[in-house]
Amino acid sequence: MSDGKLAKDVMIGIFEYPHIPYWFSINQATRIVKVSFISTKKYPEPMAILVFDEKYNLMGTLTLKDILRGLEPRFMQTSEKMEGYKEQESELSLIWDSLFSKQSKELAEKAVSEIMSPAKYFVEPNDPITKAAYLMVHHDLVLLPVLENKKKFVGLVRMIEVFDQISDSLIKE
Amino acid sequence: MELIDREDHQKLYLQLYEILKKKIETNEWHVGSQIPTEDELCKMFSVSRATVRTAVLELVRQGYLKRQQGKGTFIHRNIISEGLNMQTSLKELLLEEGIEVMPKVLARTVMMPVDDLEQQLDITPDKHIIYIKRLWSVQDEPVLLQENYIPYHICPLLLEDDIEHNSLFELLEKKYRIKITRVKNLIDITRLTADDERVLKLPEGSMALLMTQKFYSGDTLIMYAREVKKPNRFQFLVELERKVV
Repeated sequence: MSDGKLAKDVMIGIFEYPHIPYWFSINQATRIVKVSFISTKKYPEPMAILVFDEKYNLMGTLTLKDILRGLEPRFMQTSEKMEGYKEQESELSLIWDSLFSKQSKELAEKAVSEIMSPAKYFVEPNDPITKAAYLMVHHDLVLLPVLENKKKFVGLVRMIEVFDQISDSLIKE
Repeated sequence: MELIDREDHQKLYLQLYEILKKKIETNEWHVGSQIPTEDELCKMFSVSRATVRTAVLELVRQGYLKRQQGKGTFIHRNIISEGLNMQTSLKELLLEEGIEVMPKVLARTVMMPVDDLEQQLDITPDKHIIYIKRLWSVQDEPVLLQENYIPYHICPLLLEDDIEHNSLFELLEKKYRIKITRVKNLIDITRLTADDERVLKLPEGSMALLMTQKFYSGDTLIMYAREVKKPNRFQFLVELERKVV
């Protein structure tokens, strides 16, 4: 399907994305998003920050969605949407006004480790792209780390390259 | 004009040295101008050629004068800056001899600059930094918390070095041949953060010595360090060494 391509053939360098340690606050991460992406108008796909532990092991990724979710007041957080819950209804307009203003400053002091998407899945450089595609689709991942010997973080596989490789072989056939 | 005092017990060349130095420092003789010849100086001060030569040689050695082959002797500079030579090695300052201190590495990772790090390291906000945090203890008593920030592009391999047994200073100088030519130290007294108090095992509201250091190689800032030192465990030895720049 993907011409036998491997993760190492499509992975990108780890310094394509900003690095931060897990103890940084949401506030600090937000400033980094501004400086790295928004003010420079560099919009990588996906837009994310890599979160590391104190020994420089990858712990997780932080997307813009993760940050906004972290700033939502607790009463708005639901793990599953209720049946018949209508987000468009007008009586909720008061809630919309205060959604990201009242508690968000306090919430922004939380550590990013509380809101990141943990890095649980990875591929080895010599794993086939199809394995990367499987993991990304089934676990809803935007980025997939490539670890050498299950330890050394050497690159990242993105959906766009995975899609490109697999779609190429589909179109050819 | 100030003349040599033959009643004075001080050697003649030293008297002449002081007189000429004063002329330079007070700008009576301007930087860049040529001083009188040996013969002229002999006549001016009624001293021997040997006395003039020795006094002039001393002024050349100190950096006030510069000799130019075939042209003469010129005023090079009228002020000699003071070099501050500061001994700041932990082992030299802190401890009774023979006690081994070993750091425990609390963190070694990579981060983007936040807070004032961008200014402290003089880097653009898109540059990564290597962050190293180490705790130094003496017989299980934590005495120093040290945080180092090094722009990633200066020395990426530092992430793989043994930093428990080697000083960063030595690694940079000996292994990576990055010569540290200047260190700026700022010493202050600070109230500890709750985190620092916990790590240093100090009660709430404790004060400590804070030393921030900037390490330069030429004009390039290569490392910024922040050290929180437990009170009563440190002495600072400041050695002022006058030198010709």
